[in-house]
Amino acid sequence: MHAMPSNSLKRFAIMPLLLALASCATAPEEKVSLLEQVKSNGELRCGVSGRLPGFSFVTSEGAYTGLDVDICRAVAAAVLGNPDDVAYTQLTAAQRFTALSSGEIDMLSRNTTQTLSRDSAGGNGLAFAPVVFYDGQGVMVRKDSGITNLEGLEDKTFCARAGTTTERNLNDVMQAEGIAYELVKFETPDQMEGAYLAGRCDAATADRSSLNSSRAGFEAPDEHVILDEVLSKEPLAPATVDGDSQWADAVRWVVHGLMAAEEQGITQGNIDDQVTSATSGENQENAAIRRFLGIEGDLGAKLGLPNDFVVQAVRAVGNYGEIYDRHLGPDTPTFIPRGLNDSYVNGGLHYAPPFN
Amino acid sequence: MADTPRPGPRPAQLLRRLRRGLFASHLDTLITVVLAVVCGSGLWSLLHWTFLQADWAVVQDNIRLYFNGNFPVSQIWRSWSWLGLLGVLCILTLMPSRLLPPAMVRLLPLFWVLILPIGLLLLAAGLGFEPVKSRFWGGLQLSLLLTLGTILMALPLGILMALARRSSLPLLRWLTTGYIELMRGMPLIAVLFFGQLMIPLFLPEGWTFSRVLRAVLSLGFFMAAYMAEDVRGGLQSIPKTQLEAARSLGLSPLLTIALVELPQALRTALPALANQCVASLQNTSLLAYLGLIELLGISRSILANPNYLGRHLEVYLWLALVYWAVCILMTSLARRVEHSLNVTGHH
Amino acid sequence: MAVFTTHHPLINEPDSLSPEDTLVSKRPAWRRKLLPILLQVGIGLLVLGAIALLLSNLQINLLRRGLELSFDWLGRPARFPLSRGLLPYQTEDSYAWAFAVGFANSLQVVVVGLILATMLGVIGGAASFSSNWLLRKLATLYVAVARNVPPLLHLLFWYVAVFLGFPAARVSVDALASWLRLPISVEFMALLIGLTVYTGAYIAEVVRGGINSVPRGQWEAARSLGFGEGRTLRLIILPQALRAILPGLNSQYINLAKNSTLAIAVGYSDIFSIANTTFNQTGRAIEAFVLLLGGFLAVNLLISGVMNLLNRLVLQRG
Repeated sequence: MHAMPSNSLKRFAIMPLLLALASCATAPEEKVSLLEQVKSNGELRCGVSGRLPGFSFVTSEGAYTGLDVDICRAVAAAVLGNPDDVAYTQLTAAQRFTALSSGEIDMLSRNTTQTLSRDSAGGNGLAFAPVVFYDGQGVMVRKDSGITNLEGLEDKTFCARAGTTTERNLNDVMQAEGIAYELVKFETPDQMEGAYLAGRCDAATADRSSLNSSRAGFEAPDEHVILDEVLSKEPLAPATVDGDSQWADAVRWVVHGLMAAEEQGITQGNIDDQVTSATSGENQENAAIRRFLGIEGDLGAKLGLPNDFVVQAVRAVGNYGEIYDRHLGPDTPTFIPRGLNDSYVNGGLHYAPPFN
Repeated sequence: MADTPRPGPRPAQLLRRLRRGLFASHLDTLITVVLAVVCGSGLWSLLHWTFLQADWAVVQDNIRLYFNGNFPVSQIWRSWSWLGLLGVLCILTLMPSRLLPPAMVRLLPLFWVLILPIGLLLLAAGLGFEPVKSRFWGGLQLSLLLTLGTILMALPLGILMALARRSSLPLLRWLTTGYIELMRGMPLIAVLFFGQLMIPLFLPEGWTFSRVLRAVLSLGFFMAAYMAEDVRGGLQSIPKTQLEAARSLGLSPLLTIALVELPQALRTALPALANQCVASLQNTSLLAYLGLIELLGISRSILANPNYLGRHLEVYLWLALVYWAVCILMTSLARRVEHSLNVTGHH
Repeated sequence: MAVFTTHHPLINEPDSLSPEDTLVSKRPAWRRKLLPILLQVGIGLLVLGAIALLLSNLQINLLRRGLELSFDWLGRPARFPLSRGLLPYQTEDSYAWAFAVGFANSLQVVVVGLILATMLGVIGGAASFSSNWLLRKLATLYVAVARNVPPLLHLLFWYVAVFLGFPAARVSVDALASWLRLPISVEFMALLIGLTVYTGAYIAEVVRGGINSVPRGQWEAARSLGFGEGRTLRLIILPQALRAILPGLNSQYINLAKNSTLAIAVGYSDIFSIANTTFNQTGRAIEAFVLLLGGFLAVNLLISGVMNLLNRLVLQRG
């Protein structure tokens, strides 16, 4: 009587066996830098938010666009010679670090705040590229509420994003000031924005950049103000996985290159003239420019990149200022004044080290 | 009066029927009036909003995205043709079988099994076409692919587990029972969360597989537990005499299961299994919260486009309509299969 | 013949009933006994091996991230704010207390939700037997629409379209909260109504099936006794249908409890959202997951326990 089912059950026994075999078959691989892997794959796997106006979203044509997206495109152009060789992966705040450490993506360009614990090996184990956007947490209120500072928000309700540093920062500041408040949390910026507009809360708190771009999309932007108080520093930077300095260096210097290009007035429009001028024109004696554009020396090769990697990147997406204006400039619905995000030449914080 | 059949009821008859149906008593009249007023005003404001206030550009401009996600434009005909193929298959299945050649009717189940491999071939790397990675799949196309993948994985697994749960080996019984009960006790979002975020923790370093595959695996393992219970219900309903008859015919235990028990059990469990299939489609929407760009996920990316800020209501209503239509389609397909099985079953 | 009813028909078959089983009888006795044991040992070893492999991978991976499994962090202050709920909570409170608050919040929405969903479902199910044409059609329409839209969209619709779209709806929730002196938020209401409408449609189907299982003759008998439609349903049909309805209700209740985790879509601090935030802040995926599972096990056991008790009561009465 036992034999009836057991006979058929031999088949079932095979399944876990196969599973076990499959999981045994681990082949220890030699560590190859992601830079080489990206080159041999022919595409850059970039993790983005995909749901953040101005930074990354999908156009009606189905293309990813935004400031975060252009950083990915610049790296792809520098490494692979083509800004379109990027494979985007949408990541939630919770997924982003796991995706990087498990090797699902090569780089993260998803408005991620650089912090000690995210950088350290004992924390999330990231390697941060230079900051591409200096942000800070701000508070937006309705103008007619008459609220002008944090004290005015005693016992009021805040809208914030769940699972980000925002809720923690708010708590730290409000506790230190001894101000009681209530909080409603949302998974995505668009939900939070809708709730704030609908009057669900008295104030919305998020990075000032996203508050600003949210406000720009409102029907009556003038009816809302962003308070002067800044609750936290939020330097947003692309990141790669820790322990692969060759890849981290490559990404870092591509970003520096975009900023250095702006400092020197090299744009998407004049890059070809600049190259001609440095090769055989009036700049052919200017060693610094020649090095920067990869006409002289082997700066790119030292990083494992083509010598003209900056030229490739700028030709593809423009310099940092151009990228900024395209997505966050005055002509966009998501306008944010440059402020700290200007080049140091204009009193901002972006400052590229020398290309020597 | 009943003896004279007429093409339509006379006005007096209609009136009487109306009275019986709507105003039979005072209470009935009250209920009818209240419901009519509530529904009427609800419908009115919905229509008013739909045609006068809503801005449907967010739907019109992005139709391609809702259906195909950001599948590369140069290859998009592959995505459309798979969706089209699926549509044709649905129409063929729903058509009265006498309108189709008998060979076609017999081949339909085969087509349904083949539609997923065909889809993978078309979407991923078909027949010498340029390969398209799974991260470019999206929209309704991805939702349907996930649903089909889930069903094709969960159904066999569910059948195996249903059989294992009534095996005579106690260990096997305990293991499957434990698995089924644990899975059925867990919320799906937790299972998906596990699949997307925690699976890498359990694998050797450097092992990854695509998020779409991880999603199908999590959905499939989840759904299999539910399907196993439905199949078990079907197995229990088989009269014992059938088994004795099979034995007396000298059928081996394996053949008894394959030829006698399973066909009957599956036929009995079909309505329940069909409900699970509809649930599978609805379940895929949760993946929007885990970064996949299936129908709901791509919609949220569209809502982040500065041109369409704040157009939530339009998008959600449109999505409700699409999900509703696909669910209804799945239900009618299941009914159709049920019907044809019953016809062939009673000869 | 008693064998047929007391034993599971497919598993425990007495030997005497299967003398024809040629395959079995050809085998020597030791093989018949030994084979199942060997098979089970094999399966057991495989499962254990697979689990051990996965766990060792886990340990390696966690070590690499500097996150050995431990629950010490539960005592540390959570420092993230929550939306208001039944239990008092301050940001200095520990993670453990945050989980407790989340559990209470989940329980709150589940308990109220299953009461309301049952009411809606019974009305919807019974309405499909009404003699009123409009009521009947509306009940059918409700079930057809509500069941075929994903629960997540239900929640988003109620939250975004109704509560955020109409200030009046929000004001009335606040009024309700102060009248009941309960911490009811708009998020809670959106989740509650969304879950109720979705689950109510399924319960309506269960109730309809149950009422259908009562013989038609009962309706006619009641009518001949002069009972009205409503009284027939309440006093005669529903009590009889209950026996068929209860098992179906149990699984719908558990579904409602599980769907309550969709609270993340509307920003309600349920146990899943606490687990999610905890994971984001501490990186403690496994531990947060274990706590979440524990919470759900408790909710499911609670629901099944209560339903079994009800079932037994009904069976005793009937």
